[in-house]
Amino acid sequence: MKDELAKRLVQGLKRAGINFVTYLPETRLSQIVPLLRDDPDMELISAASEQEAVTIAAGATLGGKQAAVYMENTGIYVSSYSLLVTGKQLGVPILLVIGYLGGVPDQRNSFLYSTIGKHTIPTLEALGIEHMLLNNSDQLEVNLNDAVRAANAQRAPFALLFAGEFSV
Amino acid sequence: MIRHECLELLAAKMSDQLVVTSQSGQRIEWSHLSKHEGNLLVGMMGCAIGVATGLALALPHRKVIALDSDGSVLLSLFNLATLGNLRPKNLVVYVFDNGVYSGSRISYPTATAGHTDLAAVARGAGIVDSHTIRDIEEFKKKGIEALARNALAFFVCKVEESLIHREIARPNTDLAENKYTFVRYLERTEKKTIPFMGRG
Repeated sequence: MKDELAKRLVQGLKRAGINFVTYLPETRLSQIVPLLRDDPDMELISAASEQEAVTIAAGATLGGKQAAVYMENTGIYVSSYSLLVTGKQLGVPILLVIGYLGGVPDQRNSFLYSTIGKHTIPTLEALGIEHMLLNNSDQLEVNLNDAVRAANAQRAPFALLFAGEFSV
Repeated sequence: MIRHECLELLAAKMSDQLVVTSQSGQRIEWSHLSKHEGNLLVGMMGCAIGVATGLALALPHRKVIALDSDGSVLLSLFNLATLGNLRPKNLVVYVFDNGVYSGSRISYPTATAGHTDLAAVARGAGIVDSHTIRDIEEFKKKGIEALARNALAFFVCKVEESLIHREIARPNTDLAENKYTFVRYLERTEKKTIPFMGRG
């Protein structure tokens, strides 16, 4: 992802109300981490597993933060239990910012990632988590606002899958 | 030491603390002993410490308590490494370690019935104030005292297996009802709106 796009993504998250981010780093969107870390309006928490990244974000949301989890799509498999229990069952809105490796629009797709990518959307659907695929940044700020609003309205996680232009 | 007697001592100390429980007998016992609106009875294993950590970070001026079990902590050991680095000063974790998966009814042993020492694991993960408590007098001293301190504390409370949670009424508050009660309590006591609640 180009540095300018990373800046837009972080600014867009802020404008959408996000002020607390838990994460495990990945490759496609990783330029956002130093920007989030250096932003005084953001609280950035490094987790040891996507499963706890989700539970920490859920606790922060209940405590009054507007939380996001930044992860690779492999994290959906790791965190599916906590997404179901704290996200869906307890009903806690969390924005999932996902580097979507291995999907058809992933510009760095290869045999390493394609199996991971193929099962991502079916897994989200099986969990009942609504998602939006972003292949370009034309409507980035609108998409981020829509996703946060939808998560809050549904009292549930909402997944943004970043590929295409974001995976260059 | 019996878990229920530890929880009775804790319940007597509750004022404006926030308490997160995992799914195990202590969830049932705690809901029976404490009707505090600041109780969040998370209904599954392996999530309580994470949720409590998020609350502690979001509300650094509020004391947050996690009530967990050995089986639940073993399911989410990664929490210890994260806590050992974050070290939120307003969080106290009590792990009631009976050495069995008592929810399985046949009580198969957990790893702590063998060679695993969770307090040592926590210390190795960076939680400096991590202790094993083996009797109720020690719990009164170290465990209860930690509520008044401004430091992360992690207690592995070695308890006998007890079946009190099977003899008392299970909570009939569903998870959504509990969540909304908890969030409304926070809004009232923090004098702020929790953003996701929004408008209808």
